[in-house]
Amino acid sequence: MHPFDIKTVLFAKHAQHVVLIHFPIALFIIGVLFDFLAQWRKQSLLAAAAYYNLLVAAIATIPVVATGILAWQWELEGQKLKGILLMHLVMGCASSALICVVWFIHRRSRRNQEEVLPGYRLPIEAVAVVIVALTGHLGGFLSGVNGPG
Amino acid sequence: MRRSVFITGLAAALLLGMGVFGTGRRGSVTSAQEKSATTEVKIDNFSFGPVTLTAPVGTTVTWTNRDDIPHTVVSTDDPKTFKSKVLDTDEKFSFTFNKAGTYPYFCSIHPKMTGKVIVQ
Repeated sequence: MHPFDIKTVLFAKHAQHVVLIHFPIALFIIGVLFDFLAQWRKQSLLAAAAYYNLLVAAIATIPVVATGILAWQWELEGQKLKGILLMHLVMGCASSALICVVWFIHRRSRRNQEEVLPGYRLPIEAVAVVIVALTGHLGGFLSGVNGPG
Repeated sequence: MRRSVFITGLAAALLLGMGVFGTGRRGSVTSAQEKSATTEVKIDNFSFGPVTLTAPVGTTVTWTNRDDIPHTVVSTDDPKTFKSKVLDTDEKFSFTFNKAGTYPYFCSIHPKMTGKVIVQ
């Protein structure tokens, strides 16, 4: 490996995308869990914990999407994707968008100093968790973690 | 008269038979040569098989993805001697090695998957 070849250093064994992806997944799922608990127990502390988890999850999606797209462009030379790779790309983008939407709903409520968060966020969060889980499953299948390799 | 016709017919049958067998043998030699010029590497269970392949100059190596997930076949040198597109299940990629040497390669989606073609 050439130490000054930025592509090789950044994308050797796809370590960056595969490692970074765990942060938004974990933060988002825990954030949603805190939000559901906050809704159930009516505790503002849990709601605050949910907000900050969702905030960091939304920020963490940026390098994940960037490393995923760059790996596609550099390692696969941006060739037309199909099958599992295409599904992973589409669902990954949808997951990132949903994580940001969920965080934005929370942020808007906090900014407007609303005492109660909108109820429609809960089904959106539930759908987002399912899509994130499916995307992660596909990613694990592609990387060999969920497969026989 | 009848005897000479019989002998002529027998000779013709013999010649025809020799011709058929002769052609058949030539055909089998040709197919054997073709077999030695084309070699297959199977991609299965996140590995190339055989991992190291030795072949004469001019051999066309065909990689077939027998795995459930996509793989690529990319030489490790720079510039790349060969680089396949993403191969889905049962898709193939072929490359003819016209120069002697050692050609290490890997799957760019799963870089732990490596193989080598030694061309002599």
